[in-house]
Amino acid sequence: MSFEAEAMIIKEIEARFHGAVIEAKVQRKRRIAIEAGKEWMRDIAKYLKERFDFAIVVSVSAIDLVQERQFAIVYHLWSPSHRNLTALRTKVPKDSARAISLTPLFESANWHEREAHELYGIEFDGHPDLGRLLLPEDWNGGFPFRKDFKLAE
Amino acid sequence: MSTIRLNWGPQHPITGHLRFILDIDGDIVVRATPDIGYTHRGIEKLAENRNYVQIIPLVERICNVDSFNVSLGYVSAVEDILGIEPPIRARFIRVIMAELNRIMSHLYWLAIFGVAAGLFTLIMWPIADRELFIDLAEMVTGSRVTYTYFTPGGVYTDLPEEFSERTLKTLDYFEKRLKDYETIFLHNKLYQMRTVDVGILSFNDALKFGVAGPSLRGSGAKIDVRQDEPYAAYDAVEFEVPVEASGDSYARAKIRFSEMKQSVSIVRQALKQLPSGPIRVKMPSVVLEGEAYTRVESGRGELGCYLVSNGRTQPERLKLSTPSFRNVSALAYMLRGVKVADVPIIYHSMDIWPLDADR
Repeated sequence: MSFEAEAMIIKEIEARFHGAVIEAKVQRKRRIAIEAGKEWMRDIAKYLKERFDFAIVVSVSAIDLVQERQFAIVYHLWSPSHRNLTALRTKVPKDSARAISLTPLFESANWHEREAHELYGIEFDGHPDLGRLLLPEDWNGGFPFRKDFKLAE
Repeated sequence: MSTIRLNWGPQHPITGHLRFILDIDGDIVVRATPDIGYTHRGIEKLAENRNYVQIIPLVERICNVDSFNVSLGYVSAVEDILGIEPPIRARFIRVIMAELNRIMSHLYWLAIFGVAAGLFTLIMWPIADRELFIDLAEMVTGSRVTYTYFTPGGVYTDLPEEFSERTLKTLDYFEKRLKDYETIFLHNKLYQMRTVDVGILSFNDALKFGVAGPSLRGSGAKIDVRQDEPYAAYDAVEFEVPVEASGDSYARAKIRFSEMKQSVSIVRQALKQLPSGPIRVKMPSVVLEGEAYTRVESGRGELGCYLVSNGRTQPERLKLSTPSFRNVSALAYMLRGVKVADVPIIYHSMDIWPLDADR
């Protein structure tokens, strides 16, 4: 099976953001993964939104990469007209977990970023409100979704 | 201007535990701040400590009225990582069960809408009719609420012999009932007075806030995962994706009624075409490294399942992007400037399921 539509998007992103894209590949039909440095995330996302109609952030997932001592932050963007889901991913070091918020660009990323902030302790620069969302107001037990947070037996 | 702060919830007449902090001026809401998390169980974290099969009953608990659809999203992600495909018969069975569950979910929504609007007959009837569908699910899976029926590679057991006949009979009955519901409630002047032009969400705002499902289609966006990227056997059945342009609470109600009709038609088609053959392929014993993001159209809208495997028996990360989470975030905006009396109507017109939002 060939993935022409997917390859076209990748080719254009790689050409436009040469040097900023760390890896870009077709995962399967209608699924693309792009990894970039965190300072490029907003530019690439803006381009994806304006050029390919990636209008909605459907999910933001943080992943605790224990061995690399990093967090991966994965934005899943959906393009209704291209019917494509792109995973735009970046990594931030665990000891200074700061990323650039995509909420000014996508209102739909707002709560997803808040969730990653509260459960993993990642700061999102430029986010309008990183207040408590899921955890109790008086919670002071740390960041429960980090791998070093052990569940009670 | 002096405003009063009103706590709407976490105990309130509509489903589940969720709080809105409403700043009100007279009977107008000036600001609405959603406060979710009352039922946050950390299901995604719990999943990191279970193997891939043990997670199936776990994820079903994020939305107990729609558990076929939720587990379908999860098992499809596992299948993507393992590189296996369920046999054709299993794919049709999945469509049948997913659509029956959509009807159940919408009936539950209809019943609770009666609570929101103060129409008490509307609570009793759909709940009673939903029982018939629960009976069908019980007949196949042995369970009435969470089924753990879909497994990576197919489905757990084959359909019992009398299933097809009984389902068709139930659908015939249900179709008549649906007409009654439409006449008595959807076309009811009182019902319309409470919902028409109430809680308008424009097309642009629906996309901006990432609203999902029937609530999105009620604002004129023709986005439905079943059509955008057909999974299971949705490419083998014909159906329409109902869309309404007006974006009010009534439009969202109409969408769900139309969807139930479409579901009836889909189940009939799938039963008619149901191929024979095996219901499951064997699951490989070694889990591959990789990641998958699958989307399914659950009763409340698009449910995304992001699964990352590092080759161990337990996943590295499971992230569930749920429709209620996305829709409740839009409510902060939608409730601004509405009457306090309309808050329950608008809230429920979005079909929020707090368990689903909190995970």
